[in-house]
Amino acid sequence: MLEKKEFDKSDFIWRLSTTVTIVSGFFALLVFTLLLVNYLQIQRLDPVNHELLTQMRQDYANLPEKDMALAQRIRDLDLITRKAFFTSQTFLRIGAWTLLVCVSIFLIAFKNMIRWRPQLPDILDEPTANKEFLAYAQSRNLITWAGVGLLAGGMMTAELLEAKNAAAGESDAEEAVPEVVVVPPTWEEVQMEWPSFRGPGSNAIAHYTTAPATWDVEAGTNVLWKVESPMPGNNSPVVWGDRLYMAGADAEKREVYCYDVNSGELLWTTTLAPLPNTPAGDLDVMEDTGFAACTMVAHGSQVFATFANGDLVALDQDGKQMWGFNLGLPENHYGHSSSLIAYDNLLFVQYDQSEDGKLLGLDIATGKEVWSTPREKISWASPILAHTTLGPQLILSSEENADAYAPTTGALLWSEQCLGGEVAPSPAYANGMVFVANEYAVASGITLGGTAEAVETEVTWQFDELLPEVSSPVGDGTHFYFGTAIGDFVCLDAATGEERWVEEMDEGFYSSPILVGDRIYLGDMAGIMHIVKAGESFERLGAIDMGEPVYATPAFMDGRIYIRTESQLYCIEAS
Amino acid sequence: MKYLSLAIATLSTLLLQSAVAIELKFAPPDFETDYGMPYLFTPQPDGRNTPWEALILFGALSATTWMVFKARSRRGLFAISVFSLLFFGFYRQGCICPVGSTQNVMAAVFLPNVGISWIIVAFFVLPLLFSLFFGRVFCASVCPLGAMQELVAIAPIRISPALERVLGLGKYLYLGLATLGVATGSGFFICRYDPFVRIYRMADNYSMLIAAALILLIGVFIARPYCRFLCPYGVLLGWMSRFSKHHLEIPPSPCVECRLCEDSCPYNAIDMPTPQHLVGDPAEGKRRVRKLLFLSPLFILLGALGGYMMYEPLSHMNPTVSLSERIAKEDRKLVQESILESETFRVEGKTAAELHTESLAIKEQFKIGSALLGAFMALIISIKLVELSVVKKRTIYEPHKETCFSCGRCYPYCPVEEGA
Repeated sequence: MLEKKEFDKSDFIWRLSTTVTIVSGFFALLVFTLLLVNYLQIQRLDPVNHELLTQMRQDYANLPEKDMALAQRIRDLDLITRKAFFTSQTFLRIGAWTLLVCVSIFLIAFKNMIRWRPQLPDILDEPTANKEFLAYAQSRNLITWAGVGLLAGGMMTAELLEAKNAAAGESDAEEAVPEVVVVPPTWEEVQMEWPSFRGPGSNAIAHYTTAPATWDVEAGTNVLWKVESPMPGNNSPVVWGDRLYMAGADAEKREVYCYDVNSGELLWTTTLAPLPNTPAGDLDVMEDTGFAACTMVAHGSQVFATFANGDLVALDQDGKQMWGFNLGLPENHYGHSSSLIAYDNLLFVQYDQSEDGKLLGLDIATGKEVWSTPREKISWASPILAHTTLGPQLILSSEENADAYAPTTGALLWSEQCLGGEVAPSPAYANGMVFVANEYAVASGITLGGTAEAVETEVTWQFDELLPEVSSPVGDGTHFYFGTAIGDFVCLDAATGEERWVEEMDEGFYSSPILVGDRIYLGDMAGIMHIVKAGESFERLGAIDMGEPVYATPAFMDGRIYIRTESQLYCIEAS
Repeated sequence: MKYLSLAIATLSTLLLQSAVAIELKFAPPDFETDYGMPYLFTPQPDGRNTPWEALILFGALSATTWMVFKARSRRGLFAISVFSLLFFGFYRQGCICPVGSTQNVMAAVFLPNVGISWIIVAFFVLPLLFSLFFGRVFCASVCPLGAMQELVAIAPIRISPALERVLGLGKYLYLGLATLGVATGSGFFICRYDPFVRIYRMADNYSMLIAAALILLIGVFIARPYCRFLCPYGVLLGWMSRFSKHHLEIPPSPCVECRLCEDSCPYNAIDMPTPQHLVGDPAEGKRRVRKLLFLSPLFILLGALGGYMMYEPLSHMNPTVSLSERIAKEDRKLVQESILESETFRVEGKTAAELHTESLAIKEQFKIGSALLGAFMALIISIKLVELSVVKKRTIYEPHKETCFSCGRCYPYCPVEEGA
């Protein structure tokens, strides 16, 4: 067998190594302490913003004329301060290298200290091999658990990060300071436009009463212009100033279009880039609903659009995206169809879903959530903004209730359990009474009373013979009018709920009736635009064939009607 | 004493870094002079890789092989380690090294329009070829990363073999992540998170320097933690070494089973003789192997699923993806301040929509890559489980070819003479 030098002992080398270890260790500690003090001093030094120097600079700046002597003193002091700083820094650098050398000597000496007083290997009674072999089973278990841990850890991390990102988005939003200044339009300005689904406040009452009552799309009579819709969409056109906006989408693409109202020229198209938090995956929607059923809002210098996948964007008048995010993939078996509405500096989103539904009040400038109120039941209806004698109220329908909220806070003002089934028609408001209805439920007239702080409601009457399925009602103060999916055009007395007249049309209605002065316009699914006189008895004023189905609700401006049919957009104007 | 020395070593390294940090804090003079501001950021490596370096690498590998097989000299290996540390480490500033060259090779394979010089190929291939013929001689003393850890391993202890095997999965994960990073154009993670290159270049951010100090600190007691549990190149070297034609042997002549070397390897790289009385029923082992082989496809599928679920967080490793999300947050005013990257983006003239489209395309790549990473990890775990279910009969002490670094720590413990 070999004589192994590695197991030699040497008292002299061991003693020498021990001494060097102690000395170098002590010296390293000393250098380290000095360096630490120097480092802390440098940390406190701020040569550029030295107090005296700053004062002298200020004095120099305030002098009416240049004082070269003072400038020289500033330069001298600046140089001294910098020299002091760099001297300390040089000391730090040299010291650090010295320390590194000391530590190296210390480690080498320490290694030799161990080397020259070695321990011979212990040989245990039980061979290590036995333990190793037994460790196989332990290894298998540990590796299996490590694999499970990796899998579970990975999945949990993914979920946690997703939740964290969502939470961070909300909490960050609370701290956000809007840099973009957006001046919201006044309610008076809003009323002069056609800013949302069924006009100002979604009340289905046109401000202008000058809409034409005769036209012929085939002959082109009273048709100012006509353009083809680039992409499918059941949303209705909205108008602000000389611009008309509408949206189109399919499963892959979402677009917003802006037209010149005078020429029908397509001014711009904005194709939405996928938003950062848009969920991946296919989205199923009912064909009748489509991917762009929600009507946009035009609100002063901004337009807002939302789509079936929950994408919500704000665009400026040039189509540039100001902000956008995804509301979360809708849990909605027919497809998300609730239209947007805006008031003052808030955009309202009725996001009624089968789970985690909510009504949102978002800052129009930033998209920041100002308030969020949970909603328990699903719906496909859109909110209306009723200017009641008790103040503005945001009124919503859902699978079970008619609810009203304060627009500024989202606080629930009142709720009536008077609906049922899958609600798509939106509420109507006129003369202190709210009207809600849905097929397979009942129509209810709800009278508002009490005070703004404590609103009292009463279901004054109910009617259950003919009911709307999709089309929303309209009220003129004395009557409520609505169209059903099987083609009945119905008028009820607003005070009693008694049926005043019913006219059976050939086709049903998805589009909603609009009150224009004393006329009501309502397009059916065959493409006939019915014009009837509002009042106690039915009087037909016109029935104009648009050539193809009308699902969207027209927009009424001064002397013009903008009608979106299945594939075309028309501007009707009396010549 | 040990702890004192380590504390001093760690803090002194940090202090060296402090000087640089302070320099960065110092503002330039506020009046015009001819003074040119020095470049204060991470020093770049000397990018000129010459054929000489490949020759020096070849020479170092050959010398190590001679030391391992012929001289059987641990001191000789130590001397080569010091040379490698000084030349490949401090002089060449750790670049290019075979560990990092793995990414250059991956980039040339995965990314279009990315070439590779033959010197880099040589740096990647030479250690692998030597491993295939002589075991991991590169790890023994040529790797500058390993050399530094070997030098600080003053009082190494053995950890439980089971723990060693579990922690060893880390290097496969790192290799997978590095591949994913390169294949998706997200960057060279092995270099970005190489803790030792910071020491060679005496610069960089504090967090990486602290990581380096910690690894060295741990390395005093648990020798070569980076090599054993993290080194992605070590995986490839291990695979080559497993099939090596020649390999270091503990006794140069027949083993006398004196058991002196039993506790000599701090890397758990010595396979012990198989105790016959503990072998048990071989049929049970076979049944377990059959079960594992049958279940492996399911494990791999589960791994792929788990990996796929991780694609979103993993995709944030990509600078385009993280910038896109940052820009979106800034645009929504969810963050108040912009960062340098977003400011640069805004002056480039590209739109947020274009950036986001790019980001989405990258995320698509991450979906596939993350699923493959998960499947790879599941495959490795399956193989390890099968290996641990098979008991190889051994009558002598021999090095485990895949994990042995050929460092020669076991030589002094073996009393057998050559030719005895």
